[in-house]
Amino acid sequence: MLVAKELTKIYSNGVIALDQVSFSVEKGEFVFLVGPSGAGKSTFLNLVIRREVPTSGLIAVNRQNIAYLKKKEIAYLRRSIGVIFQDYKLLPQKTVYENVAFALEVIEASSRTIKERVYTVLELVGLLNKAHVFPAELSGGEQQRVSLARALVNRPLLLLADEPTGNLDPDTSWEIMELLREINRRGTTVIMATHNREIVDKMRKRVIALDHGRLVRDTPKGGYNLET
Amino acid sequence: MKPKTFGYFLREALHGLVRNRLMTLTAMGIITIGLFLFGLFFLIAANFRYFTTLTWEEVEIRVFLEPGVRNPEAVGRKLAALPGVAKVTFVSKTEGAAALERMLGRKNLFLSGENPLPDAYTLALKETADPQEVTELAAKISGVEEVVFGQDFVEILQMIIHFTLVVGLILLTLTALAVLYIVVNTIQLTVYARRKEIEIMKLVGATDSFVRWPFLLEGVILGLLGAGLAALILTEAYAFLVQRLSPYRRFLPLRADRELQVQLMVVLFAMGLFFGACGSHLSLKRHLKV
Repeated sequence: MLVAKELTKIYSNGVIALDQVSFSVEKGEFVFLVGPSGAGKSTFLNLVIRREVPTSGLIAVNRQNIAYLKKKEIAYLRRSIGVIFQDYKLLPQKTVYENVAFALEVIEASSRTIKERVYTVLELVGLLNKAHVFPAELSGGEQQRVSLARALVNRPLLLLADEPTGNLDPDTSWEIMELLREINRRGTTVIMATHNREIVDKMRKRVIALDHGRLVRDTPKGGYNLET
Repeated sequence: MKPKTFGYFLREALHGLVRNRLMTLTAMGIITIGLFLFGLFFLIAANFRYFTTLTWEEVEIRVFLEPGVRNPEAVGRKLAALPGVAKVTFVSKTEGAAALERMLGRKNLFLSGENPLPDAYTLALKETADPQEVTELAAKISGVEEVVFGQDFVEILQMIIHFTLVVGLILLTLTALAVLYIVVNTIQLTVYARRKEIEIMKLVGATDSFVRWPFLLEGVILGLLGAGLAALILTEAYAFLVQRLSPYRRFLPLRADRELQVQLMVVLFAMGLFFGACGSHLSLKRHLKV
């Protein structure tokens, strides 16, 4: 599903964000990407969605090296990957329905497909009754669920989550985690960058730890730290 | 592109304009002012050109025939065939004497009763004509004795025409560039205010053209609205000016024809369209790199 081989990213200011990182993620896996701030977690996710270009090494999604893509191919790559962010990245002037439908509008889906799929994912994330509400009227957890619905509506094979519980209280964080677990159970590969020790320790999924851009640990069913 | 998608772009563009009302009004106001200035220069240039054309029409070359020339009509035909000649008028020696008497305000100018003036032709020139060349060619025709034209006056007039054409073009180009600069910056503000929206569009897999279209349409709508407003203000103000200055039209002739109005509209709407589309295109470039 995803392969990183000797992946290195050095920013123009000389900061080494990723240093010779190699690992692969199989289809259907749930992987936590952990590490302190500046470890390179977000850089890795940004490389997967081609917001950044690697300095050297290989990064492949679905056996396609994405280091060298044309502009249009980048757009197509992003359609096959769902992404959720800590700050939700919702459009404030669009309703919940419109925010989710937006991901389908860009691929020129038919009105019927849009309607069907949007209501299906809104039901999955439990927001069917808030379809015509604006993001500002929702709680943080609800906004993250909208973001999740938008990431899922394109039926991606890979879901990236960058600190999705970073702005949420523990109970709401667990609601989001339950949803991610359910989505993963349905076959979507999930890679989640997080600082949330409790979640990582309780979920017992594969953990890849980064520190100063280097891969320091890759444990199946691991905890946040080596000893947990 | 599917028609449904174009409908979506148009809806998005209209929503964008309504949603960012203040920005829309500011951008439209600036485009209107810019196009108003552009239109104003256009009208000034058109009128200056009209004025110089009218003056040019006054320029005439006088071709005096040899006394006793057998076939003055043949000379007239040859003169009419010269390049740059718009009109040929025969002035007989009698008519010439009468004109001279009228000009000097005296009767019986020639005491002896004998009219010494030769038969002549006056040549009116086309706008593109070179009077010097016409004079030289006319002088070579057999039966022509002398060719006269106000060389100094023509040279000064030609210089003025050339100067106003160059200055007019420079002014129009500078105004166009200034307007484009202002429009790009104004639209850039609206784009900047919506950079997050653009970022999200790109992250969910929108192609550059998909992101660009609604902004492009917004720019075009803004440009056309600005052009419409500028055209309305200019045509009304110009009509008022023409009316107020009509008693002085002999000294200050202003074009008041429908053709000028149509030209002004075409120029303003074309510029509005160009500025709007170009402004959006240039403003977006930076923000598409997500």
